Amino acid sequence: MFWRVLWRLLRASSGRLALALVAVTSGAAVCAALLNLNLDATDKLTSEFRSLGANIVISPEPSANAETMDTSLLQNISALRAPELIAAAPYLYISAQAGEREAGVPVIVAGTWFDEVARMNSWWKVDGQWISDRGERTRCMVGQQVARQLGLAPGKPLLLRYGSREAPLQVSGVVTSGDSEDNQVFVSLAVAQELSGLAGRASLVQLSVRGTSRVFEDMIQRLSLAFPELSVQPVRQIAAAEGRLLERIRGLLFGTVFLILVLTSLGVLATTAGLALERRRDVGLMKALGGSVREVMHFFLAEAIAIGLAGGVLGAAVGMLLADWIGRRVFSTAVEPRLVVFPVTLALMVLATLAGALPLRLLGRVRPSEIFRGE
Amino acid sequence: MMPPLVQVEGISKKYGALRALEQVSFAVTAGEWIAIMGPSGSGKTTLINILGGLDRPTSGRAIVDAIDVSVLAERELTRYRAEKVGFVFQQFHLIPYLSAVENVMLAQYFHSVADEAEAAEALARVGLGDRLRHLPSQLSGGEQQRVAIARALINHPKLILADEPTGNLDEANEEIVLQLLQELHAAGDTILLVTHSPAIGRMADRRIELAHGHLVQIVANAN
Repeated sequence: MFWRVLWRLLRASSGRLALALVAVTSGAAVCAALLNLNLDATDKLTSEFRSLGANIVISPEPSANAETMDTSLLQNISALRAPELIAAAPYLYISAQAGEREAGVPVIVAGTWFDEVARMNSWWKVDGQWISDRGERTRCMVGQQVARQLGLAPGKPLLLRYGSREAPLQVSGVVTSGDSEDNQVFVSLAVAQELSGLAGRASLVQLSVRGTSRVFEDMIQRLSLAFPELSVQPVRQIAAAEGRLLERIRGLLFGTVFLILVLTSLGVLATTAGLALERRRDVGLMKALGGSVREVMHFFLAEAIAIGLAGGVLGAAVGMLLADWIGRRVFSTAVEPRLVVFPVTLALMVLATLAGALPLRLLGRVRPSEIFRGE
Repeated sequence: MMPPLVQVEGISKKYGALRALEQVSFAVTAGEWIAIMGPSGSGKTTLINILGGLDRPTSGRAIVDAIDVSVLAERELTRYRAEKVGFVFQQFHLIPYLSAVENVMLAQYFHSVADEAEAAEALARVGLGDRLRHLPSQLSGGEQQRVAIARALINHPKLILADEPTGNLDEANEEIVLQLLQELHAAGDTILLVTHSPAIGRMADRRIELAHGHLVQIVANAN
């Protein structure tokens, strides 16, 4: 009988309830989209942040009086198997001469792993070609200041000298980063090590780590414990800005979800206020027939829950599509639907609908004799 | 000697400064048909509402089937209404979006368990066996009142309270409803019926006449 009455109630007020359903569905769609984005936002945003470059630097302890360190630590970093680690690039800096002996110009040479550098600094503007092979021995990349000073361009030869050792190379690309890289010549780590005679050594290692401030701090701690003889330092400005921005975006998403819930409740409230007036007589009659407040209110609250569930299901489905659309527009990538968003959206919509159904809940106070007297 | 089914002892009811009932006392034996009569505002409906557990007296006692209705808590009053009384109202008061059989089943649901076959049988007894699926808006006034009577009887109440049950009916439908009430009376049901009509009043076993909230007289009809 309960379901029969509920079905009749829903059919009897289908017009008004359709308005409430629209309010709940709209609210659910936006909530589901924002919650889905929130869950995916860390990945998407940190992927975007990675284009800002390294955020952790490992170097020899200043007190150790060593200018270089053993590159075997890179294997140890890989052994950490940290999924939040995006890229790790060793750098060996040497001050070399560019050009023939009599006309040599001093330049900073950075020996590195090109593949890792490319992953970490995808935002660099490169005129020519990136080098993707970390063992490259014949080509190099040059900063745009160096290129201007030495009259270099992609395809031109460049001879690097360090003491009596020489490395004849060809320029593959000219880098513009807007930072110190514009004044450097990039060669593979192996070339720099051979040129300097520092086999198996690096000046520092740059790491790019994704995640919130907490994940980032945890990573610093793990690396410090793993390499106690080395200095593990965050690139403060970038790391802190990333963490703050992520937290603010997350706060904004949650704030918006809360606002949507309030607006959904108000939308339902506007509908149920009129409905409650129509239902006063029915509630009075049901109580006169021996219906308890609990029994009678179950009908009307079930009506509200049905609207919340229906709107929640429809809205959550629409929200998944909306999240995907926003993901493609904002992050240029698809947002994966998170199943957990579905029950959370349903629960939030049922709660918002019940909150908005306050006028219906107040019907429990109706006294049958007042209704029959026409009050 | 059997105790009376209804015992009203010095009942008064005030709404603010208005005295709707003033020291009304009477008793009703099981199986009696009582007509409550009097001009508008004399307290007839207030008396019915108190006996039906819809309202509480300001003072006095109303005992129905050995239960003092005037002291029951809200939850006990709810059970009392579901189990002891059946209401028939002048305005019919059917739920507009429920069919005839569903209106009857709703009273069963609040009492215990809804039984569609039993509800359909009750409607057949009042001549509406072919109107089970009709909504109230698809029924005539007389048919709606017969649905209300079926609903009032479905839980086998101790007391049937009818407030002007023919007040909104034409002559033909009034005849049908009165016939039904007479059949109920003949079957041993106890009926308290509010009416303005002297003719209907004379059909009852006794008439309780009220004026300005006071019991004026109780008249036994020579039926």
